[in-house]
Amino acid sequence: MVASGTRIELCGRLADGCGPFVDLLLPADGVPVTGLISILRGRFPALQSALSKGRIRACVNETIVPDEAFVRPDDLVALFPPVSGG
Amino acid sequence: MNSQVELTEDRLDPPARLASFAAMLEDEGAVASFTGRARGKAKDGSLVGALVLETYRGVTLASMQAIVDEAHEKFAISRSHVVHRAGRILPGEPIVFVATASSHRRAAFEAVNYLMDRLKTEAVFWKREEYTGGVYWIEPTVQDQEDTARWLQSEGKENARN
Repeated sequence: MVASGTRIELCGRLADGCGPFVDLLLPADGVPVTGLISILRGRFPALQSALSKGRIRACVNETIVPDEAFVRPDDLVALFPPVSGG
Repeated sequence: MNSQVELTEDRLDPPARLASFAAMLEDEGAVASFTGRARGKAKDGSLVGALVLETYRGVTLASMQAIVDEAHEKFAISRSHVVHRAGRILPGEPIVFVATASSHRRAAFEAVNYLMDRLKTEAVFWKREEYTGGVYWIEPTVQDQEDTARWLQSEGKENARN
């Protein structure tokens, strides 16, 4: 299994803990969104609280995806805390 | 369907937007509009220096367009215009402008209401209030979620004749 670096963009309040980007090594065949969030919690303790509050959704290649979707190393990945316009 | 959806970092002029919208109308008998403005005080009375709205790539505009498309499916409106600010907004400045037109008034009123409820809870923005002493992220309240949920209880094209 080959691993390579993937940049994860942290949107909104998620950027408060570690800045707007973190880099992770993901398995070549990817991880589900729930697994990605677990990995981030383990690797970045400063994100634990922010990732536990509210519904966090993943956006992969500019599409919001379900929690069971897989994130692969070459994907453009962002994590969204609850959104609010208006 | 005739909709115009826009995201801008420039100052927003709602009267000018409404005039442009009205100038494009044909035989519609109703126009409704809403303007949201940045408040100068937070819920606890603290003075707000600025409201900052963050977006994400093309996803923010796409989320706005999806909401507008669904409003056209749900209500008998012929035309709509939605403009949302992004970036740093000072107290008193408009944040969002929504206008709809329809043959009869009810659809135009309801569609504006629907658009604002869904923009509040589903449009891809992150809002923070900046104070002298720090920042506060604003997320949808329980009331905001309930306001959006009530629209899910009704289906189909509504208010064609009211």
